Amino acid sequence: MAIVLDKSHRWRVVAAHLGLIAFISLCMFPFLMILSISLRPGNFAVGSLIPDQISFEHWKLALGISYQAEDGSLVTPPFPVLLWLWNSIKVALISAFIAVLLSTTAAYAFARMKFRGKKHWMTALLLMQMFPTVLALIAIFSIFDYLGSYVKVLGVDSHWALILAYAGGIALHVWTIKGYYDTIPVEIEEAAVVDGATHWQAFKYVLLPMAKPILMVVFLLAFIGAIIEYPVASVLLHQEANLTLAVGSKLFLYEQKYLWGDFAAAAILSGMPITLVFVLSQRWMVGGLTAGGVKG
Amino acid sequence: MAGLVLKGIKKSYGDVQTLHGIDLEIQDGEFIVFVGPSGCGKSTLLRSIAGLEEISAGELYIGKKRVNDEPPSKRGVAMVFQSYALYPHMSVHENMAFSLKLAGASKEETNAAVDRAAKILQIEPLLDRKPKALSGGQRQRVAIGRAIVRKPDVFLFDEPLSNLDASLRVQMRVELSKLHGELKSTMIYVTHDQVEAMTLANRIVVLSAGRIEQVGAPLELYHRPANLFVAGFIGSPKMNFVSGQLIAADEKLAQIKLKSGAVVKAAVDARRLKPGAAVTFGVRPEHASIDVEPGDSTMAGKIQVVERLGDTTYFYLEVAGSETSFIVRAPGDKHAKVGENIVVGLPLQRCYVFDEKGQACPVTW
Repeated sequence: MAIVLDKSHRWRVVAAHLGLIAFISLCMFPFLMILSISLRPGNFAVGSLIPDQISFEHWKLALGISYQAEDGSLVTPPFPVLLWLWNSIKVALISAFIAVLLSTTAAYAFARMKFRGKKHWMTALLLMQMFPTVLALIAIFSIFDYLGSYVKVLGVDSHWALILAYAGGIALHVWTIKGYYDTIPVEIEEAAVVDGATHWQAFKYVLLPMAKPILMVVFLLAFIGAIIEYPVASVLLHQEANLTLAVGSKLFLYEQKYLWGDFAAAAILSGMPITLVFVLSQRWMVGGLTAGGVKG
Repeated sequence: MAGLVLKGIKKSYGDVQTLHGIDLEIQDGEFIVFVGPSGCGKSTLLRSIAGLEEISAGELYIGKKRVNDEPPSKRGVAMVFQSYALYPHMSVHENMAFSLKLAGASKEETNAAVDRAAKILQIEPLLDRKPKALSGGQRQRVAIGRAIVRKPDVFLFDEPLSNLDASLRVQMRVELSKLHGELKSTMIYVTHDQVEAMTLANRIVVLSAGRIEQVGAPLELYHRPANLFVAGFIGSPKMNFVSGQLIAADEKLAQIKLKSGAVVKAAVDARRLKPGAAVTFGVRPEHASIDVEPGDSTMAGKIQVVERLGDTTYFYLEVAGSETSFIVRAPGDKHAKVGENIVVGLPLQRCYVFDEKGQACPVTW
């Protein structure tokens, strides 16, 4: 840092920092609020950000532990929150895995192969995904209802049905991965082909290892998408034991009584797997994997 | 080891035709260089031989086998790319072993082949490194090593040196020449650099706009260019061209009147042209001489630019009938100033005459 700076520079730095701090506070506030609600005794949506009294009653319920209320009665967990969490993780992991599998191969075809109408197919894929899923809810329900009468495991109230529904939403991922493939010089695969590789081997041994970072990004996006998805899951899953956390948490908020505290604890819980997967996947999300392959 | 036969190879992308029927026979063990300006189709031709591009029409034989419809891996070729195209996630050893791994070779066999190639190219200490930890020259060696390991019948080089800096390029050029001597395989080398072509090739194929202009040994192309294009492409600085008119022609000699009015002679057989026909007169900078008295086969020019390279000096002259400067090579210490008029001698055995279509009249010496 040897650039000569203007005298007014210092004040601009201060102003920029103040602006950034204000913006971060704005972003953090909802999260802190929910954390505060989950630690506050009773079920109140409003109150001070820093609770006067800390209570773990909501967390106990969320983690499936009963507790003794002040009046001496035993409060048992109303819903199987941990089971829902497990359902969410299971569905998200499998559907993210399938999404990556399908979108890498589809993107390879779009990026490297020549076929008629390639451009139009790409656009069509994206356009179709532009309509909100909510619009297709009835269709999705009736498709799986119908499927269920032939293949039980793909019927309504089955996780596999939900996974299949999620795996259909890969158009954006295909675009993302294709964009990344386009930045990888095609000569590297041509070299592999001259070396005796088939299309599939060139893809598997040469292109895929170089595309790791984008695959992780897509996996993460698909995973997050599945964890936080509400509409499709709410239509396809009915029994309490089958619900995902996003759908199940809604049960805390019924008309007569809004259990804000329990809801907040469950909400934070649903963020855990996302955080965990993100931290784990970060070691693969590094740049420079293609460095040195070709003259830069 | 195999020779190649190309019969009427054509290549088109949609309506655009890039190769217009290439006929060529390449002997086993020959070092052939395809040379031409960018966009002349030389890389397309190489990629067609490799099988990375389909041939639109014509036939390609490698050895005795027709390979039009064979995939690259079954053609017995190995290719070195301009951009190296190494596998960035693999070590040097893995890069070189990749083809053998795909072919299902045993570990001992693979290691022996890799070690042999590494030894030839002197990259043994680098085997465990990743490509990004290598310099440009080292990467190019690895790319060549990857080709050697396959023991191909034909090596294909696609401008392999053009990404290297000038001094490294000269060094690698010499090594490639040695490599050809050692391996004695057929090598096809694409470049736009006529110096590489001249120094490396057994035979040069000059291409322009998807057609072969001339095929021949380096010195043959230098001394007996078939047309204006080859004459201008081979040699550096390029040949000087001056437009003029044929006055007289017999079986040994042609007399040409240049635009400036000077009459010059060339040892060519121009009898197929009528006297009075428009011709282009050509002479290389290194063959034109200065320090001559005005007289037969001389012409005058005004110095525009003087370039001093130490051992030689180039004078750029303004000459009537020449679109660009007329370049003359002189000894390094030759004195002459910009703006001076000098007289240039044109030795008749070093002069060429091209007809209106650019075809050379056969030289008679």
